[in-house]
Amino acid sequence: MSDHVDGPRQIGDPSADLTDLFAFTSPENPARTVLAANVFPTCGVNAFFSDAVNHAIVLRRAKVAGIGDATKFETSDPEIRFACRFDRLERSAADQKPIQRGTCTLPDGQTLRFVVNDEKGASTPDGAFRVFAGLRSDPFILAWLLGGGAMRKFQNLLQHDNVLCIVIEFDTRRVLEPDKGSLFGVIAETLPLPRAGGFIGHEPPRLDWVGRPEQTNIRLNNSGMKDVNDVRDLWNQQTPFAIDEKLRPLFLQRLKDSLAVWDMRDSKQDWTPAALAANASMFLDDFMLFDVAKPITDASHLEIEKSTLNGRAYMTGGGRTVDADVIDVLLTWMVNRDREFLEGGTTKATKPGTKTFPYFASPNTELQTVAETVELAAAPDRIWELIGQFGGSWHPLIANIRLIGTGVGELRVIETIDGKQIIERLDAIDNAARSYRYTNIGGIPASNYTGVLDVKPKGTGSSVEWRSQFLASGQGTLVVKTIVSTLFKTGLESLKSRFGAAP
Amino acid sequence: MNDPDSECPPTTDGEIAVINLQSARLRSWTRFFQDPLQPGVAEGLIEQEQFTAQFAGDLSALDRVESLTRELIQVDAGSARTLLIQAQVASTLHRFSDARQYLAQAELGGAPSEDVKRLRLSFDQACGVNLGAVLDARRRIAAKSGRLEDLVALGALLADLREFPEADRVYRRALRSYPDVSPFAVAWVCFQLGVLWGELASEPDLAVAEQWYGKAIACLPGYVKARVHLSEIYSSDGRTGDAEDLLLPALASGDPEVPWRLADLLTAQGRHREADVHMNAARSGFEALLERHVLAFADHGAEFYAGSGDDAARALELACINVSNRPTLGAFEQAYEIAIAAGETGAAAEIATTCTNRWGHTPAFRLSAFAQHCLNDREGVAA
Repeated sequence: MSDHVDGPRQIGDPSADLTDLFAFTSPENPARTVLAANVFPTCGVNAFFSDAVNHAIVLRRAKVAGIGDATKFETSDPEIRFACRFDRLERSAADQKPIQRGTCTLPDGQTLRFVVNDEKGASTPDGAFRVFAGLRSDPFILAWLLGGGAMRKFQNLLQHDNVLCIVIEFDTRRVLEPDKGSLFGVIAETLPLPRAGGFIGHEPPRLDWVGRPEQTNIRLNNSGMKDVNDVRDLWNQQTPFAIDEKLRPLFLQRLKDSLAVWDMRDSKQDWTPAALAANASMFLDDFMLFDVAKPITDASHLEIEKSTLNGRAYMTGGGRTVDADVIDVLLTWMVNRDREFLEGGTTKATKPGTKTFPYFASPNTELQTVAETVELAAAPDRIWELIGQFGGSWHPLIANIRLIGTGVGELRVIETIDGKQIIERLDAIDNAARSYRYTNIGGIPASNYTGVLDVKPKGTGSSVEWRSQFLASGQGTLVVKTIVSTLFKTGLESLKSRFGAAP
Repeated sequence: MNDPDSECPPTTDGEIAVINLQSARLRSWTRFFQDPLQPGVAEGLIEQEQFTAQFAGDLSALDRVESLTRELIQVDAGSARTLLIQAQVASTLHRFSDARQYLAQAELGGAPSEDVKRLRLSFDQACGVNLGAVLDARRRIAAKSGRLEDLVALGALLADLREFPEADRVYRRALRSYPDVSPFAVAWVCFQLGVLWGELASEPDLAVAEQWYGKAIACLPGYVKARVHLSEIYSSDGRTGDAEDLLLPALASGDPEVPWRLADLLTAQGRHREADVHMNAARSGFEALLERHVLAFADHGAEFYAGSGDDAARALELACINVSNRPTLGAFEQAYEIAIAAGETGAAAEIATTCTNRWGHTPAFRLSAFAQHCLNDREGVAA
């Protein structure tokens, strides 16, 4: 994965883990540039940003300092830094969903406040800058299984995943002054806040950083190489744009070894030793290149680097768009030097990027609802006495039911008559209101599954409602809705023979 | 001591971290059900469930990791990976005999030797086996990696061996050198320091323990174990209101230690009817846990029944189960004290003999309160 979970680092906060970096021309306005960084791989739908981390996207002007086997990209001061910090959560009431606010410090020192997950984002008064931060569908595509030196096409391993995304859009001319040079190198980094009493002037060790996709998980940590040390944590602690001179030979050698292994993944050698060394040297200077004076498209990723290594002038703006299929581009380059395009099991992310701000698709949070009702001739208390027991055995599709624990938090382990097991946890019960709420832990191909069963008086009898909300997973939405609906209907219908249907 | 705030790095707010953990855990289950064989998903999920049990007091996490292994066995029985996960889950549930068998099979099946060594080391430490070799290995690993989890494992072993000053230094080093922002990691070390100074040290310092537990809760307000331990200090100090305030928010976790300690507090205040409700909840909670995971909760159950759970025979039965499963010096001490309190002198003598045979040659034994008991008893018999 691009930079998803990129190291064996000790117990850390996954929300500080950078997954991807993007640089592209605004689809809404070609005079504006968009930079974006994602954190927190495979996060849940309620994820928030850490309030103890500085999230930064940093650019430096770059130039081509050598081509062909002497390829070199040099960057120069000053750096252009966008830094985002996030607050603790705020709640207006105990039972309300919390909100989080953040602050982006812009290169000119201005600060811009925003609310996390507000799709409109926030803009500076003059409109030069616009910032969004929040949960989005992960646009990354990894449709290969690459373990143990093999390459096997597969479905997208990040299908339906979400990430926390920071999007910064700005007026290209005003902020980047492309007349002074339109080629830039960009990185994203996460840094912890300084410790109390820490040494002044000593930056805390970096948590993570990312330049081009897959520096850590594919190039430095090549699963096809046996018995080599994992250097990803060491790499993540390097200073972007200034890799430690003492460690450069170590990283360069690892990249050469790794790229040589990648070259032979198809059992054909496409790289000469000199070209391979130049490629390794280029990747060692790990920043993503983009040129704001040229077109940045879904196909332009790495074109600047590849053309330069091939000894010719680059034609595109490079960078990386939301929908760029970067893994296939990278693998093709490393394995056969663009002799033959290597396409994984899919070239589509869960959702494509959008043409409007914030350009990253809405998160995968569409909850499905199933609700069934039956009206019965008996009084609510009589019905509740039977079905209000969380471990009660009254449903005709249930062969056996076992409780673990008591009260809120208890689990019911259900064995259905067709041999399946369903595990559910009691989240809340209100006997006075004849209602309980539970979460499905396993056995139904759904996530975020919440069910509610309640009995209400209706006329001289009662109305029993059983409803649930969930995200279908593992099987199609229709299939899961049918499973749940059948379960509910069968159970509720069985109550008619016990209590009589309401007239 | 220094101020814990100055020794701990800034961490992500505990509320954010818990929301992120629970939210990511649910996502991991979805990913697991989509493809149980996807590398890393089951392993990550077990870690998330362990965190949920350890830091949120949600002990149903243990049932969920068991169900995870059942699912894996259905699709990938006998593979080295499944066996490694079975070994890890069995050890989480303190079923160390099963865990060792799974690990041996995993090793034969080609599991990575580093993973096998790491798990075997943790089993040996948990069961008090080959502790000299375990200590050497722990020192070596901690010196090489400097990682927080390796330092905590070393600190815990040193504490077991009654090397309290060194354990304290190692824990503090873990805090000082921790480069990340997870409140789980920092709260864990603070909790360990609280236990060290509040319960393990030969000369406990409750003021120091209180500060460390307090810092653990400041990092992670939902840290149920830290709330329970700090409430005991408050309670012992007569601060019953503060103790109650600590426990009430933790009741929803479902951990039976919370209603137990709350019942004790209420009883001490003469609020017997409220206390009965919580004591009944604690009793049924412990029994439910013991029915499902007797080895994992035998020591906690023994402590409950030896205390206000008020069933000395059940306490001794559970303490002996714990000794058989994990013959650590601490387990022997607990069983011995329960046997003495129950008036089971014969059982106490047998426990003392077995413990002396196993631990008598070690410096830890000579430093233990248990050794002093044995000495007093022998002198009493001789007199």
